[in-house]
Amino acid sequence: MTDLVVEFSTADGVVRAVDGLTYSVDAGRTLAIVGESGSGKSVSSLAVMGLLQSPPARIAGGSIRFNGTELLTMSRKQHRAYCGEHIGMVFQDALAALNPVYTVGWQLTEALRARHGFSRRQARTRAIELLDMVKVPAARQRVSEYPHQFSGGMRQRVMIAMALAMDPEVLIADEPTTALDVTVQAQIMTLLAEIQAERQMGLILITHDLGVVATVADQVTVMYAGRAVEQAPVLEAYGSPAHPYTKALLQSIPRLDRKGGELEVIPGRPPDLLAVPAGCPFHPRCERAEDVCRTGAPPPVVELPGGRSAACHFAQEVMTDA
Amino acid sequence: MGRYVLRRVLQGILTLFLVIFLLHLLTTFAIQLNGNPALAFFGDRVPTQAQLSAVSARFGLDDPCYNQLGNPCFGPFVNRLKDYLSGDFGTNLRGREITSIVATAAPNSFRLFLVVTATWLVVGMFLGSTAARRRGKVVDHGIRGFSVMIDALPVFVMLLVYRYVITVPVYTWAKKQFGSDSFIALLFKPSFDSDHPMITVIIPGILLGLAGSAAFIRLVRAAQLENYNSDHVRAARSKGLSERHVRVFHIVRNSSIPVATAVGIVFTEALAGAVITEGVMNIYGMGGLLWNAVRDSDVSLIIGIVTLLAIVTIVVMILVDLLYAALDPRIRYE
Repeated sequence: MTDLVVEFSTADGVVRAVDGLTYSVDAGRTLAIVGESGSGKSVSSLAVMGLLQSPPARIAGGSIRFNGTELLTMSRKQHRAYCGEHIGMVFQDALAALNPVYTVGWQLTEALRARHGFSRRQARTRAIELLDMVKVPAARQRVSEYPHQFSGGMRQRVMIAMALAMDPEVLIADEPTTALDVTVQAQIMTLLAEIQAERQMGLILITHDLGVVATVADQVTVMYAGRAVEQAPVLEAYGSPAHPYTKALLQSIPRLDRKGGELEVIPGRPPDLLAVPAGCPFHPRCERAEDVCRTGAPPPVVELPGGRSAACHFAQEVMTDA
Repeated sequence: MGRYVLRRVLQGILTLFLVIFLLHLLTTFAIQLNGNPALAFFGDRVPTQAQLSAVSARFGLDDPCYNQLGNPCFGPFVNRLKDYLSGDFGTNLRGREITSIVATAAPNSFRLFLVVTATWLVVGMFLGSTAARRRGKVVDHGIRGFSVMIDALPVFVMLLVYRYVITVPVYTWAKKQFGSDSFIALLFKPSFDSDHPMITVIIPGILLGLAGSAAFIRLVRAAQLENYNSDHVRAARSKGLSERHVRVFHIVRNSSIPVATAVGIVFTEALAGAVITEGVMNIYGMGGLLWNAVRDSDVSLIIGIVTLLAIVTIVVMILVDLLYAALDPRIRYE
């Protein structure tokens, strides 16, 4: 994805939900996209899949390429069909994302039947196979049950199986564990990591859980107000963040080894996308903001050693400080 | 599933019993206040006491409780229930079997309802789906405006305008042009023709159906819109399915659940509308029959017809509930 810009026209004006986002993911690697609500992380993934409602959304620029094929010049129909074959998507709330009136097996293989001409029997076999793959016990019976008969964790497994039905090369997981309780979250993340390793898929993990990122991701993209403020391999980003926002985020993780202390928070609130501050969008909340941050264009992306980059005037200093 | 059906049927029988009882109370009080309806049998003549009591006895109106205001008359009620259970629905004031009256009238009402239902489904589903698909566009606003306009125009106004303004010139013209037995002439015939029961109810049926479809259009639109923006539709799109497939299998299918429940409500409304339609268009159906029976204080006929209409309504409601359970798997296991 290169320089993607997504705009929404609202009653109050045009909002840039994604503003010049660039990222890439290789086969077998995991890219985590983190950021607060409204930072544009989900919108960018919907843009990849051709699922943005337009209007109000509009892709105002940039390009999304998959193995060299440009997706944004395709018709919406072609785009969706192409993504259906090559990219799987796991949605946040599996209960809402599964259709309540069809059996799980029907939904798992819907695309196979509609687009690849699978017979009912073939489809059933494949559905059981998929459920086995995501470790749903008693797959043979459960394949003909409805989503409401599944527990939250099992539903999310079904959701993952559904995304895998077409053997995608890339999987986008949009906050796959938000709606689940902590123990189940860990199981789902392990499952995703296993499946990804086994199939050598590219995985794009959209989350706001920094703990999850640390355990599964290779690369991390931190988003703020529609922009990538920092992109780095995950260990480096955690060890020496190069953007004050990343640093602040990491400091706000509650830590078990510092009991009794006050939880660090980032002061202020995420910017209103209708009135993004001039200069660096993060400057009103940034502890190191100086005059240069408050005016003009947002800070350029600074390339740093180790294939990292950060959009901060003081990237170098922030990185070495930590 | 079996228990669900059984429970619904038992509830239906209880409702039916309550309807019959309420009806009995109302007619009893009407008799106690207005005097013996058997008098109507004699028209303008003044009967002797013996004649009157003979007629009263024939129609089951001789119980002394009918002369005591406020007496609920349980005796005649129990007798009537017994008669009903043995299949005897009594006679009207002219001595004709109520079952045979209903047997001639009901098919005409049924024909009318066939047209009404077809109109609902075609107009309601088609316009509602179109409006949802083109939400916010001119077509959507047009369809919504149309449905509000229909609502603002009560069915009896529509029928009167149709009958007195449109049918007469069109019918006269068609009769002259194609002959009085031609399809077009019969279609626009100002009143019902028992020789051509189907053709002559088509337009009244469409008008009554249109009146009911207004609410239907908006409901279908709202139900589908809710699905257009839902997560499961987005998930279905992410599978690379065509928009048409998504619309048929995920939007129309899922929105059919609230729509099915509404069918029951619209149906009872149409039943009330049918009384007016059959009255205005002289259709010899259940509604027209009821209209005349009330005018003549023909107690047995009123109770007979209303009981039958109540049975039909209850059966439709049970069918709607079963349909609901069939459409929504989450209901079955309650």
